[in-house]
Amino acid sequence: MDNAIIIGAGPAGLTAAVTCAEKGLDVVVIDEYMRAGGRLLGQLYEEPNGNWWNGIKESNKLYEKAVDLGVNFHLNTAVNNIENSNGIWTIYTERETFHTPSLLLATGAAEAPVPVPGWTLPGVMSVGAAQVMTNVHRVKPGERGVIIGVNVLSAAIAMELQLAGVEVASLTLPKTNQVTQDAGKPKEVLDSLLHVSHMAPSPFVRYGSKLMKNDFMKKLGVNFFPKKGVKMWDIPIQLRKAVTKIYGEDEVEGVTLATINADGEVVSGSEEHIPVDFVCIAGGLYPLAELAAVAGCPFYLVEELGGYVPLHNERMESPLEGLYVAGNITGIEGAKVAAAQGRTAGLSMAHHAGMDDLDGEIKNSIKRTEQTRDNAHIQFHPEIETGRKKILQQWDAYQSNKERSVVSNSRGGIT
Amino acid sequence: MKEDEMIICRCEEVSYEELKTTAAKYKCSARELKLRTRAGMGYCGGRSCRTMVDKIAATSANDRNRTCVSLKYQPPIRPISFKNLGG
Ligand SMILES: Cc1cc2nc3c(=O)[nH]c(=O)nc-3n(C[C@H](O)[C@H](O)[C@H](O)COP(=O)(O)OP(=O)(O)OC[C@H]3O[C@@H](n4cnc5c(N)ncnc54)[C@H](O)[C@@H]3O)c2cc1C
Repeated sequence: MDNAIIIGAGPAGLTAAVTCAEKGLDVVVIDEYMRAGGRLLGQLYEEPNGNWWNGIKESNKLYEKAVDLGVNFHLNTAVNNIENSNGIWTIYTERETFHTPSLLLATGAAEAPVPVPGWTLPGVMSVGAAQVMTNVHRVKPGERGVIIGVNVLSAAIAMELQLAGVEVASLTLPKTNQVTQDAGKPKEVLDSLLHVSHMAPSPFVRYGSKLMKNDFMKKLGVNFFPKKGVKMWDIPIQLRKAVTKIYGEDEVEGVTLATINADGEVVSGSEEHIPVDFVCIAGGLYPLAELAAVAGCPFYLVEELGGYVPLHNERMESPLEGLYVAGNITGIEGAKVAAAQGRTAGLSMAHHAGMDDLDGEIKNSIKRTEQTRDNAHIQFHPEIETGRKKILQQWDAYQSNKERSVVSNSRGGIT
Repeated sequence: MKEDEMIICRCEEVSYEELKTTAAKYKCSARELKLRTRAGMGYCGGRSCRTMVDKIAATSANDRNRTCVSLKYQPPIRPISFKNLGG
């Protein structure tokens, strides 16, 4: 039996592990990847203050700190189920079974796919896969590619590919269909990009954020949006184009790119062929909450947080006894916010293990998470604060419902 | 390749057209769509296509249930070899 077990060695899990260990708990961290760091490993970008955020360095720092504090790591180990009986969590992996009264799920986020005709050809990958190949394994995904799906993540990764000497021929939209929906409509995409204007020192975004205050202007903006696109970090961003097809005999040889109107409809006869040797698809991120679901944790769908998230409070407690959540499983945000949540979760777990006098520290940690959120360099959804409020309201509603049912049970309690 | 022919569920080889027409015909939930077409019931446990099946269903079903994940997760959530499953 271990005092605390953490599933996921990303910034949230590693920070929680360090926090628990500092408070004297025996900690085990389990991760299915062969290296600690999670999605932090792939991150590489320049912050507004001119500092470089190097995810590999940040991961190593956290990992070494945890090892020095005696945290026990099981890497290359996927958890396939968790169960609770009599207050003890059992964690199943293919080789070993673990037990603990205090379990943290810090499993991060997953990428949503974008289906495009030809997307099953070798050479098509998610944009996150291209990031890991380039920044972690230092292997070029190809010489020249296109990225389908324009969002915060794909823009950041396009720049990283560029840095590594990989040509990005275009950052463009998928053709709209029942799956891609708004991601294929220039007006909606432009809308979602306006809030990242501070990230991008480009004429297009500056133009956008000043002019497009209301819907009419946005529509106008899209109509005026030059068909050949604008360049950001020297990469053509083409909101008035969409990939209608990825072609190739046995692997990717190119894409068919068409002009689209402001609503995403293809202008017939506008198709052209763009030769490339790889294609990235970028459909955005959603919280990876499989284990919370098999444990029977209550959920709520919050679009601003990226999808279904397990109910939790600011102390990172779930409604299930001894089960905690932190990081992107609670909503899609940057690595610094995930780490701040991890610290709160670690303190809550230490409290659960019987450590007294942590209330002040927990409150401070919650406050620090909010400050980190306010100062975040990368924001995946413009209404993230609203999303955070919604989930807390759901938590409160769930708790008061539970109390009410306990009261009514005890009133009618003849059994 | 035409858009309708593109594969959405790779494990069970379910096409976009099959999902679209089934969703339109039965006006069904994501779960029913999965059971009718087998999309999401293959080897990977729906890891690749779950969000797509969800979206195709949501565009024809009335309202999404906010309190309950629409396509249920079943353990094991990662593949296990037969050897270890038996042991
Ligand atoms: C492809 C991708 C690219 C991203 N790029 C950026 C970026 O450039 N900048 C940025 O700020 N944010 C980025 N993010 C957001 C990123 O999720 C956060 O920055 C941060 O890494 C979240 O931390 P976390 O600890 O919650 O999860 P993660 O860092 O994702 O770590 C979760 C860990 O849990 C493990 N895990 C999951 N399920 C299991 C299981 N069943 N068994 C065992 N282990 C499991 C995973 O292997 C992983 O190591 C990206 C996310 C993704 C998915």
